[in-house]
Amino acid sequence: MLLYRAVLNEATTRVSQDLNSARELYEARLKAIVSPLAITSMEPHLFSELLSAGKYRLIARLERLAKSGNLDFVGMVNSNGITIARVSREVTQSGISTVINPIAAAALERRVPVSGTVILNREELVAESPALAEHARIRLIPTERAAPRNDEEEKAGMTLAAAVPIMKQGRLLGVLYGGILLSRNIEIVDRIRDTVFQNEIYNGRNIGTATIFFDDLRIATNVLTTEGKRAIGTRVSQEVKKHVLGEGKKWTAPAFVVSDWYITAYEPIEDIFNRRVGMLYVGVLEEKYADIRWNALSVLLIITMAGMLLSIGLGYYLADKIMKPLNRLIQASKDVSEGNLSVVDVGPIAKDEIGLLQRTFYDMIFSLQDRDIQRTAESEIRIMQSEKQASVGRLAAGVAHEINNPLTGVLTYTHMLLRRKDFDDDVRSDLQTIADATERVRKIVKGLLDFSRQTKLNPEPTDVNALVNTTINLLQNQALVKGVSLSFQPGEDLPMLTLDPSQLQSVLMNIIINAFDATDPGGAVTVSTGIGLLAQKEERKGVEIIIEDTGCGIAPHHLDKLFDPFFTTKEVGQGTGLGLAVSYGIIERHGGTIMVQSEVGKGSVFTIWLPVEGGHE
Amino acid sequence: MSNGNILVVDDEPIVLDCCRLILEADGYIVHLVQSVDEAIEALRSRSYVLLLVDVKMPVRDGMSLMREVKENWPEIPIVVMSGYPTRETIMAAAEIGAARFIPKPFTPDELLEVVRQFMQKEEEG
Repeated sequence: MLLYRAVLNEATTRVSQDLNSARELYEARLKAIVSPLAITSMEPHLFSELLSAGKYRLIARLERLAKSGNLDFVGMVNSNGITIARVSREVTQSGISTVINPIAAAALERRVPVSGTVILNREELVAESPALAEHARIRLIPTERAAPRNDEEEKAGMTLAAAVPIMKQGRLLGVLYGGILLSRNIEIVDRIRDTVFQNEIYNGRNIGTATIFFDDLRIATNVLTTEGKRAIGTRVSQEVKKHVLGEGKKWTAPAFVVSDWYITAYEPIEDIFNRRVGMLYVGVLEEKYADIRWNALSVLLIITMAGMLLSIGLGYYLADKIMKPLNRLIQASKDVSEGNLSVVDVGPIAKDEIGLLQRTFYDMIFSLQDRDIQRTAESEIRIMQSEKQASVGRLAAGVAHEINNPLTGVLTYTHMLLRRKDFDDDVRSDLQTIADATERVRKIVKGLLDFSRQTKLNPEPTDVNALVNTTINLLQNQALVKGVSLSFQPGEDLPMLTLDPSQLQSVLMNIIINAFDATDPGGAVTVSTGIGLLAQKEERKGVEIIIEDTGCGIAPHHLDKLFDPFFTTKEVGQGTGLGLAVSYGIIERHGGTIMVQSEVGKGSVFTIWLPVEGGHE
Repeated sequence: MSNGNILVVDDEPIVLDCCRLILEADGYIVHLVQSVDEAIEALRSRSYVLLLVDVKMPVRDGMSLMREVKENWPEIPIVVMSGYPTRETIMAAAEIGAARFIPKPFTPDELLEVVRQFMQKEEEG
């Protein structure tokens, strides 16, 4: 309905404009009457002819005027109001008549040219031309909705006329007048139809129609009756008549015109005396607009359908171009989140932004794979470290056991020989060397055994700061001897850890003593504690003990062997190479780690990380 | 001999030799055997004031010998020798009733220090 109203509004606006055009054509026809009359009235000899007794020349002149001006009637009135000559298409009257055409009377009275619509009654029409009077007669055709009317025939006629006063030196000599009968005159209405509506045909009927009403009567029209004849003699509806003729207003609305609904526009026609004597009408067949509405609706429907089809097509396109790769990306993301990096496939790489996303995704996968490989390598190293420790442990146990028996023999015999007093000093010195060397062997084997002995942890709730503090106090004397400062920076709010304090202490002592050995006098060993997160995996909370020295540092190629059993950089006899290996084992059994960072010449940092939750045992 | 008899059980001849050398030099009478079975036989035929026993031996080990000694000759103190003294071994020996534990290798002084404690007790007793 909204659409219909829009169409209707458009139609009424258009019809209203069409009515203006029709009015201009109506006025144009009037001008076409005025001009020849005005020109003729200026002809100099017209006065003499007007005044002369013989009217022959005057009549001829008027006939010429009627013909050239295509006028239905032409006449001359003298200053006394006597019509001295009349010419019409059919007859020429040169006799004197007292019946004066109203427009001639008006011009005579006003002494100015007058033009416009003029109603001629039967008598006046007959005076102009009996044939014209006959032509003007219109029989009323009963019309629905029309206002009641008593007569059955309209005998008066509506004319379009002009009258020009003929003046000589300020003296009015007479009036020249002429005009056309509008009744049954199809010239104007058809011109309106042809010009304004371009004679457009719709379903066999003219879309645009025009009508000239004399009062409420169609006297000139191209509105057709159901029989296909011009609807002359039919009348306008009472409603329109009241509105336009009664109130003098324009009417623009759908109206029932003869037999069809039209979108119509009416306006009053006033005669030269400013009386509303008729109406000018234009209308457009509503059916066309109804069809336009249907057309519009179907166009809308087609647009909607096309839109839907387009949407579906676009949907398929998007699904194919975007959703499919996206779904594959989502699936790939799922695979990745499940740790499945090797089978990731996001499908063919698109050329658009999706492709960028896909490539970025692949980049991410590759980085993840790299990281995984690195992690695997790291954990493999750690596993190797553990396995190395275990196999070395087993080997050490076996070897130690077997070595200890012969070693008992060497020790016993050497010492028994040393007890003898009959050897000279050289021999005793040699024996002592054997004893010392054997003592070293014994220590090595003992270290091996300590290392291999997987002694159980005796964990108990431990205050790490207190433990570190105790250890540092035990080592302060040694630090003094070495000329190295030993300090402790305890971290705050450390949680209590469950660990074997004596084993952890031995680890700390081992690492701190190593730090002393690596640091020249004047250097510093600093121990600090703090909350630490093991970033590598699931961010486990723990405590870090950091032992930092300003010593000689560890060569990079030594770093990865640091925790291997028997690896030592110390001089022969100064270390068994088992200290850090044992320490590593202890921390590992606590579920912790030892990490080393070192720079040659600047020092080393050992970081012991211990979990808050219990270790492996 | 005032110092009494000491029985040493070890499958390793070198250890037995060492024990004899050290203990005889200190005036003890030492009887050496290489297996648990021999040791039991010796115990049955003679009385000893001290038993030195190795843990790891083939056929029967030192632990089974100690149990038997504790059962039949509970008055004889036992000193356990081991080349592989784990915490578990020491604890097990202590549970059975071993009096002392001496890790191998040992020097003469270390062995004598342990042995003398028991022999003095014996002498005093």
